[in-house]
Amino acid sequence: MSRDSAAPEVRIRDLTVVYKTPAGELPAVSRVSLTLTPGTITGVVGESGSGKSTLALSLLNAVQPPGRIAAGSVEIDGLGDVLRLDGEDLRRTRGRKVGYVFQAAQNSLNPLKTIGKQLLDLGRSHDVEDLRALVADAKALLGRMGLDGARVLDSHQHELSGGMRQRVGIMLALVLNAQVVVLDEPTTALDMITQSTILRIIREVHEERALTTLVITHDVGAVAEVADDLAVMYGGRVVEHGPIAEVLGTPRHPYTQGLIRAIPRLSGDISLARALPGRPPTLGTLPAAGCVFRERCEKRMEICETVEPATATYDGRSVACHAAGRPAPVKRREYA
Amino acid sequence: MTVTVMPDMATGTSRATLRRNFWRGVWRVLCRKPSRMAGVIIVLGFAVMGVIGPLVYPANLPRDDNALYASPSLQHPFGTDFEGTDVLALVVTGARYVLLTGLATALITVALGTLIGLFAGFRRGGWDSALMRLTDLNLAIPGLPLLLVLSTVWKFTSPLEMGLVLGLLGWGGVARAVRSQTLSLRERGFIEAARGLGLPTRHIIGRELLPSMAPYIAMNMLIAVTGAVYAQVGLFFLGVLPFDANNWGVMLNLAVFSGGALTTPSALPYLLAPLLAILLLTLGIVLIVDAMDEIFNPRLREE
Amino acid sequence: MTKSVRERPRGAAVARRVAGHVGRGLVMIWVVATISFFIIREIPGDPVQGMYESLLQKGMSPDQAERATAVLYGFLPTGSLWDQYVGYMGSLLHFDLGRSLSTPGVSVTSLIGSAAQWTVVPVLAGTLLSFLLGVTMGVYAAIKRSGKLGDLLALSGSLLHGVPVYVIGLLLVAIFTTLWPILPAGGPVDVAFVPGFNAGYIGSLIHHAVLPVVTYTLASYGGWILAMKSNVVAVLGDDFILAAELRGLKRGIVFRYLARNAILPLFTILALSIGMLFGGSIFIEEIFNYPGLGLLLVNSISTRDYALMGGTFLVITIGIVVANIVADLLYTAIDPRVRSGEAS
Repeated sequence: MSRDSAAPEVRIRDLTVVYKTPAGELPAVSRVSLTLTPGTITGVVGESGSGKSTLALSLLNAVQPPGRIAAGSVEIDGLGDVLRLDGEDLRRTRGRKVGYVFQAAQNSLNPLKTIGKQLLDLGRSHDVEDLRALVADAKALLGRMGLDGARVLDSHQHELSGGMRQRVGIMLALVLNAQVVVLDEPTTALDMITQSTILRIIREVHEERALTTLVITHDVGAVAEVADDLAVMYGGRVVEHGPIAEVLGTPRHPYTQGLIRAIPRLSGDISLARALPGRPPTLGTLPAAGCVFRERCEKRMEICETVEPATATYDGRSVACHAAGRPAPVKRREYA
Repeated sequence: MTVTVMPDMATGTSRATLRRNFWRGVWRVLCRKPSRMAGVIIVLGFAVMGVIGPLVYPANLPRDDNALYASPSLQHPFGTDFEGTDVLALVVTGARYVLLTGLATALITVALGTLIGLFAGFRRGGWDSALMRLTDLNLAIPGLPLLLVLSTVWKFTSPLEMGLVLGLLGWGGVARAVRSQTLSLRERGFIEAARGLGLPTRHIIGRELLPSMAPYIAMNMLIAVTGAVYAQVGLFFLGVLPFDANNWGVMLNLAVFSGGALTTPSALPYLLAPLLAILLLTLGIVLIVDAMDEIFNPRLREE
Repeated sequence: MTKSVRERPRGAAVARRVAGHVGRGLVMIWVVATISFFIIREIPGDPVQGMYESLLQKGMSPDQAERATAVLYGFLPTGSLWDQYVGYMGSLLHFDLGRSLSTPGVSVTSLIGSAAQWTVVPVLAGTLLSFLLGVTMGVYAAIKRSGKLGDLLALSGSLLHGVPVYVIGLLLVAIFTTLWPILPAGGPVDVAFVPGFNAGYIGSLIHHAVLPVVTYTLASYGGWILAMKSNVVAVLGDDFILAAELRGLKRGIVFRYLARNAILPLFTILALSIGMLFGGSIFIEEIFNYPGLGLLLVNSISTRDYALMGGTFLVITIGIVVANIVADLLYTAIDPRVRSGEAS
């Protein structure tokens, strides 16, 4: 199998995903535009309910009911608009072109089949001619991640630890040479040591294979270790997006600032760590007009009540805030 | 009904509010699907039939020698039997026996099963495994054949005797369910926490464990009632017990084996009436159990 | 490969499970045998003693009468209770269940042997049919669970599951033999045909078996559809199904993942279902006058043929024990978690 060395670019434009609730259709993702630069890792952080997992599923056109993609497009180089694919075309894209890795704590493997058999199911589903080579690839990948490939392929899910299952998940997402990889909470529910191993593996494999990678997480500390770019989501919007050093070093959006202040690992001084006041919004409590963050914002102005802030570019990153023109009050810290 | 018991985690006024909220919840669940309301009405109807029915009709139902196996008419909605007695009257008066047995069985089943299950789950260790072996045996021995064989030594024809036999043979399921429930409460630190507070065992069982299991037990009780109704009607239908009383099983037996309901359509209403009664009672109880499931299963309630 | 490393403990775990089942089954058989012994002993009017005395009155010598009675019931009428019990158990160990009274001269074992087929074959056919039907409709009910059709399927399942088997049987008889007589009312086969491998006889066998088998099927169908529906709903919520879809697996493969994971837990209730049908066979055979074990049991009670009664009771129990073991072996063969001894 020949490998395209050029990683594809992913362009999400005006993506809106709504969920059907008793109170009508409410947006979980609202007019999100995001470009994943070829060959980079983009991290997406946000509290639960910010719409980040929905965004991740949209990349495979796999939003689950009662959710529905209402508008927008997801263009991937060489594939076109993923949201326009359906049926067999969509199925062939999933797994083969876009790999998806599930959260570690959840079980993404069929408990009744060995990993090897599930690998063969994957190969057959995507019409891989040389299944022997596929198995060899899988073994090599697992070996690359520090596992005994032959042994793992011969195991059932219940015989593997959480970290091993997560690596199997990564292997299954990569073994067909997908060039866009989405990782949804890849380190949640893993212990610290396994977490950093998985993060290192993600980084290394990403570089070796020239991928375009999206990492979804609520853990800013974890994403800081691997990502090139960072997108911050709040209430279904991307409120700030740019190179990670910029975003974490000089956050422009008040939410990003609050988020960073809340993490001693990043702000450096535990006595300065301060929890963000208020609670993250849910689908039902999102304000219909104005800025979604204003309830918790310390810089709110009159305009925030009525006008939703447009996304503007300030020194290399995009920010959606009426107050973003002013300098950040956060204590600067060297970001390594 | 048996659904009044609530976990008493609050006291005084707050408990009263809880109970009020609870009844409001019950009402809401019943209203959501009208079929459930129908279930409650059916079961209440049978209860009324069992209590009042025999009082409405004379002790010896009138016979009409000119109308043996009469077809359904206004006077006899389900026709008459081999002696010219009104079939509807037979079904209504027979309900008392059937329901009384069901109630007795359910009480014994639930009392015995709860006691054994609680004891096994609470004590654990040797007692637990011994009692569970016994429970397995109780569950595994085929109930109906055993009942038939028992009927040769003991003619348990009165409703209470019948209930006693059925209850003694049927406690296994409840015991196992109560035990696993006890164990899961224990696992969640429920019992240890109460112990830590210095509460006596009696209090822990009586005021903490039992109330939290009440819905469970109540549901099992309803299911036990249906089981008992089937078993007793079945035994009389097979004709292994002497016909002492008027009940649905006797009617089925006479309809099938003397009335020839399986070959002649004229005796068919006589056969269908008790069958219809059993079907209706089953439907009512199934609908109520379904509603209870939703009331007590928070996962279903949330949606 | 590492297969050989794990093979041994797997085998041991399976052996342990089977041994446990066999042990429990033997205890159950022993308990049931003891019950039937004491019931035969305690029957009002003491039939064993009565038989012995009536033989004496007919002019047999005590010795002859004693032996004749022993042949009938499997134990000597004289002697202590314990001696009688030991005698009874001893005969059981030799598969000697005594002689029938109602069919003089025929051993209970041979009566049961010829009756067993009329129960076992329809029960197995009914189990298989209801399993296939219930599993299919269960999947359907799960997929359509928010619609009217799903509700209807689930309600039909609850109702059939809740209704006693004789109600189903009697309704079927009323419909198909009385109101609309297209099926025979009872009996195993039309006597007009010569038994043997000929079309008429076999056709008649099948014709007569339709209603019993349909009754068995409907009696356990409700349980299967309800269990399958809730399993499918549970598995649909499992992440590995979504994961399989997001890996682009073919629909057929995803469906197989779903079906296999949902069906597996059903094997734990397979034994229960078969046991229930064995019990139900009493009603079904009585209604359809089908000469199986259930009818044998009821008839033995009404003709006071107590040796036959005890033997039939015992054999029905053994059937249930065997069904239990087979169901568990099936389960073990399919679930890798049990096979490797993880779950118990």
